[in-house]
Amino acid sequence: MKSHKLSILLVSGLAIAAAAACGTDDSGNGGDKASAGSGSGGPVSISINCEPPKTNKAQRATFEEDLAAFQKLNPDIKITKVTDAFPCYDPRTFEPKLASGDLETVFYVNFPNVGRLIESGQAADISPYVNEIKTFPDYNSSIDLFKKDGKIYGLPTDGYGMGLVYNRALFTKAGLDPNDPPKTWDEVRAAAKKIAALGPGYVGYGEYSGNNVGGWHFTASIYGRGGSVITDDGKKAAFNTPEGKAVLENLHQMRWVDNSMGSQLYIDWPSLMKAMAGGKMGMMLGAPDVLISLRNDFGGKFEDYAITAQPEAKALLNGGAGYMINPKATPEQIRAGIKWIEYEFLTPGKGQLDYVRAKNANLTVGQPYPDLYRPDTPSGQAVNELRKANANIDSSQFAGWVEGSKGIPPKAEPGPYAQEIYKILDTPMSAVLTRKDANIDQLLADAEAKVNSLLASKG
Amino acid sequence: MSDITVIPGRSAGTPAAADRRERRGRRPRKAFDTQFRTAVSPHQLNTTRGRIIYWIVLVIVVVSFTAAFVFPLYWMVTGAMKSTEELNSIPPTFLPSHFSLDGYLQAWDLLGLGTLLGNTALYAGGAWLLTLAVDVSAAYALSKLRPVLGKVVLGLMLSTLMIPPMVIMLPAYLTVKDVPFFHWNLLNTPWAIWLPAAANGFNVFLLKRFFDSIPRELLEAAEIDGASPGRILWSVVIPISRPILGVVSILTVVNVWRDFVWPLLVLPDSDKMSVSIGIASLSSQMPQNVLVASLVIASLPTIIVFFLFQRHIMAGLTAGSLKG
Amino acid sequence: MTTASIPATGGRRRQPTKLRRAVRRNITAYGFLCGALICFAFFSWYPMVREIILSFQKTNFVDPPKWVGLENFRTVINDPAFGPAWVNTALFTLLALLCGYGIPFVTAIVLNELRHARAYLRFVVYLPVMLPPAVSVLLFQWFYNPDYGLFNEILSLFHLPGLQWLNSTSTALISLVIVSTWMNMGSGTLIYLAALQTIPSELYEAAELDGAGLFKRIWHVTIPQTKLILLVMLLLQIVATMQVFIEPYLLTGGGPENATVSVVYLMYQYAFNFGNLNAGNALGLMLMIVLMVFSAIYLRVSRDNTV
Repeated sequence: MKSHKLSILLVSGLAIAAAAACGTDDSGNGGDKASAGSGSGGPVSISINCEPPKTNKAQRATFEEDLAAFQKLNPDIKITKVTDAFPCYDPRTFEPKLASGDLETVFYVNFPNVGRLIESGQAADISPYVNEIKTFPDYNSSIDLFKKDGKIYGLPTDGYGMGLVYNRALFTKAGLDPNDPPKTWDEVRAAAKKIAALGPGYVGYGEYSGNNVGGWHFTASIYGRGGSVITDDGKKAAFNTPEGKAVLENLHQMRWVDNSMGSQLYIDWPSLMKAMAGGKMGMMLGAPDVLISLRNDFGGKFEDYAITAQPEAKALLNGGAGYMINPKATPEQIRAGIKWIEYEFLTPGKGQLDYVRAKNANLTVGQPYPDLYRPDTPSGQAVNELRKANANIDSSQFAGWVEGSKGIPPKAEPGPYAQEIYKILDTPMSAVLTRKDANIDQLLADAEAKVNSLLASKG
Repeated sequence: MSDITVIPGRSAGTPAAADRRERRGRRPRKAFDTQFRTAVSPHQLNTTRGRIIYWIVLVIVVVSFTAAFVFPLYWMVTGAMKSTEELNSIPPTFLPSHFSLDGYLQAWDLLGLGTLLGNTALYAGGAWLLTLAVDVSAAYALSKLRPVLGKVVLGLMLSTLMIPPMVIMLPAYLTVKDVPFFHWNLLNTPWAIWLPAAANGFNVFLLKRFFDSIPRELLEAAEIDGASPGRILWSVVIPISRPILGVVSILTVVNVWRDFVWPLLVLPDSDKMSVSIGIASLSSQMPQNVLVASLVIASLPTIIVFFLFQRHIMAGLTAGSLKG
Repeated sequence: MTTASIPATGGRRRQPTKLRRAVRRNITAYGFLCGALICFAFFSWYPMVREIILSFQKTNFVDPPKWVGLENFRTVINDPAFGPAWVNTALFTLLALLCGYGIPFVTAIVLNELRHARAYLRFVVYLPVMLPPAVSVLLFQWFYNPDYGLFNEILSLFHLPGLQWLNSTSTALISLVIVSTWMNMGSGTLIYLAALQTIPSELYEAAELDGAGLFKRIWHVTIPQTKLILLVMLLLQIVATMQVFIEPYLLTGGGPENATVSVVYLMYQYAFNFGNLNAGNALGLMLMIVLMVFSAIYLRVSRDNTV
C-alpha cells in the first residue's frame, strides 16, 4: 500500500518539526506578563487558593466567612479570585499556572516541595515584609524550612512532627495494653507480632514502599534514630550509617522473621490509610493529622485510634504545609497576601485558630496541630489555651504523642531535591519488604552512590 | 476491497437478522445458518459431535467472559454497599452484609455528581459534534480531494500519536490560556475540551482509511450531476460512512469521559469540573465504599452510550473500514 | 507541465482550465481541512514544537529561559533509573504484545465462530475499556493482594502456592501486563472481529475442498486475510504500549526496586515530582524519536509484505 510513503512522511514530519524548533524564537513565554494588580494606589487585588472543597462544607463556610471579614477589615485589599482545586498543591498544574500567569498570588505548598520552589526561584522573597506579622517572632523552627541564605520565602501554616499511630481496639484484642503503647522498636516488633497473630489479614505494622512515600518514611525513621539523609552542607548522602541500617534491618526482621507486616506493599497515602481505616492494621508511622484524616476522610472509627511518640526518637521529621507568594507579584500584592495569611492562619482566635467557632461548627478541636509557635511564647500559649478550652474530641488519643514528643527537635526534609532522594530510597524500602535475601549493606551502598551522583550533578 | 459498499449493508443487517431468526427458533434443527461462513465448516458444525463441541465451547466462553469481565462489575456495584471494614474483610464477602444504597446517595451528594455528570455530558457531547465535523471534513479532503501536501499533513497528524500527551500538556495549556492571534482565554470554557479533542490523529486516520475505500465512481456520478464537494460529503459520503462515524463517536466520548489530567488543568473551577476530575481530586479523602460508588455512577453513562450505539459500532467495525 | 508544448489551440484552452480546476480543488480541500489544521496547529503541533524547544532549555517560568544545549538529556541519561526504565518499557511492550496482541486475536476468532450471545459477549469484552482506570486499579489491587486476594485464593483451591504478584520484582511487571491486557483487550478484539467478518466465505470453502483442517484454514485463510489490519494494529499497539504509564503509576509506584519504572513514569517523575519539566521534556522527546524511527522502519519493512 502507501505505507512506505507514510514512513517517509513520519520522518519528514519530524524533520519539519525539528526545523521549526530551530527557527522559532521562544518569545511567547508567560514570563513577561506581570500578574494582574494595580501598582499605584487604590485597592490592591490578590487571588488565593486552597479554599476547602465543597465536600468539606463546614470548613468551606468558615473560610468564606473569613474572606468577607478580612476584606471588610482591609478595604484596600480585594480578593478577586479564590480557587478550591484539591489537592491544593498539585505538581501537575503548578508550573502551567505559573507559566501562564494563572498562579494565585498566595499559594499553598506542602513541606516536601518548599525547598525545591525556593531553589528554582518560583516563590517571592518576602523577607522585607515579615516583620509586619505580629506573631512572627513566636514561630517555632518550622519557619527555617522557608529560609534560604537569610531570606524568607513563605510562611508555615500547618505543622506537626511524626509519631506512631496505633489501633487501640486491636491492641486490646491482641492482649496488649492500649494505654501503654510501644516505646522502643523492640516493643513495636513484639506488639506487631501479637497483632499479626490474630489471624489472616491482620497486619502488625504497615509501611510505605513506592511513589516516593517509601523514601519519605525511611527519612522519618532514620531521623528518629538520630541519623540524617544528607550531610549538613547538602552535598553528600549520609544515610549509609548504622542508623540507616537499623531502619531497614528492623523492617526486614518484622517482614520476614516475625511475618508481622503482611505481604501487600503500600505505595501511596490513601492505600495505607485505607488499610489502617479497615481496622486490621495495628500500627504505622504517622503524624497526628492521620487520626483526623482517618476519621473525616476514610470512615475509620475515630475512637479506636491513638497516636504516641515515635519510638526512641531523637529527632522528628517535620511535616506540614504553608503558603508562598507568586514570584510575579508586586510589593503591594505581597504585603496584602501576607496580611491574608496572617489573618487566616496565624492569628490566635482568628481564622483556622478560631477554636470557638470551629467547635460550634462541629469541626474537630483538640488535636495538637497546627504546631506553629514555640510553647513558651505568647502566641503558643494563647493557641494552647484556646484549644484546651474548646476541645470537642478526646485529647487523650493524642496525649501520648504530645507528652512523648516534648523536647525532641524537629528536623526538616532533606534539601531541595527531597523528591529525587525519596525516589532513590524507595528502592531499599521496597527491597527489604519484598525480598527475604535482601542485602541491606549493598542496598544502602547503592542508594548512597545514586544520591551522591544526584547531588554532585546539581552542583 | 472494491466490494466495500456491499459490506456495510451486509454486516449491519445480517448478524442482527440472523439473531432474530434464531431467537424465533423457527427451524430448531438447522440453527446454524451457512450464509455467514467462518473457519469452522458448517457441515461439521451441524453434525452431532460438532454441536456438542460447539455448545461446550459456547458455555465455556460465556462463563469465563462473565467471570472475567462482568464479575468485576458486580464486585464494584456491591462493593459500594459494604462498609470500609467489610471491604477489607477476609475472606471477602460476596454479598454485602446488608443491602443499602447509602454509599451511592452519599457519593451523589458529597461530590455533587449531578453537576459533574451534566458538565461531562456537555463536554463529551460538544467534543463529539466538533470532532465529527472537523475530522470528517479533514479526512474527506485528504482522501477524496487529495490536495497538494495532503500526505505531509496526514503524516504530521499521525506524528501526534507518537508523543505522550503529558509532555505537550504545558504548551497546550499556554495556548488555551491565550490562543495565538485571537487572544482568547478558553480556560473554564467547554472550548478548552472541545478544540483539543478534535485534534485527534487516530480519528482522522480511521476516517480517511474508510473514505479511501469508497469507490470513486460513486462520487464521480454525483459530481457529474453537478454536486459541490460539500454536497457530496453530506449526501453521499456521510450516509455510507455511518458505521465508522459510530466508532469515532464512541472513541471520542469515552476519551473525554475518562481523561482527567487535561480537564484538571483547563477547568479549575469546581462548578465546571468534569466527573473524572471531581472523583480523582477527592479520591484521597473519602471512604472506600463512597469512592467505589462514585466510580460506578461515573462509569454508567459511557456504558449506556456504548449499549445504545453498539449496533452502529459493531457495524462500523465490521464494515471493513480497517481492512485496507 | 510537459503538456504545455502541445501546439493545438484546444490544448491551450484546456490547459488553464485544468490548472484552474486543480487550484479550485486545492482551495476546496484546504477549506475542508482548515478546521482540523487550526485544531492540530494550536493544540498538537505548536505544543510539540514548544516541547522540543523546552527540552533544550532550562526555565522556571519566572525568569527568561536559558539555552542549555544537551544538559537535560544528560540529566536523564545519568539517572540510575534511565536504563531500567527503557528495559522495563521494552519488556512490558514485548509481554503486552504476547498477551495483548495474541489474546484479542484468538478471542476474536472464537467469538466469530459462535452463533449465540454475540451481542452480549462483545459488550462484555468492551466493558473494561469503558471503566475509569481507577476502577480497574482498585479491583486488581484486591485481586493481587498476596494475603487475601482473589487470585491467591483461586491458586490455593488448586493447592498451588500463592504468588506475590505486584509485590515481587520477578512478578510485578507481568502482573501489570495482565491488568493492561484486561483493560485494553476490548478494542483489539472488536477490531479483529470486524476484520474477520470481511473474509469472503468462498476462501474457507475452497480451503475446505482442498482438504485443509480447521487450524490449517486459520493459518492459510484467516491470518493472511487479516494481515493488513494485524500489521497496522501491531504498530499502533506498540506505539501505545511504549507509552505505558497509568498501570505502574497507580499499581506499583514504579517498584518494587524500580522493577516497573517505565519511560513515561520516569518522565512524569521528572516533570512533576522533581520539578524539572525540561528534563521530562527531553525524555519525552527521546521517546518520540524512538517511536518515530521505529514506525518508519516498521512501515518500510512491512510494506514488502502488504502490497
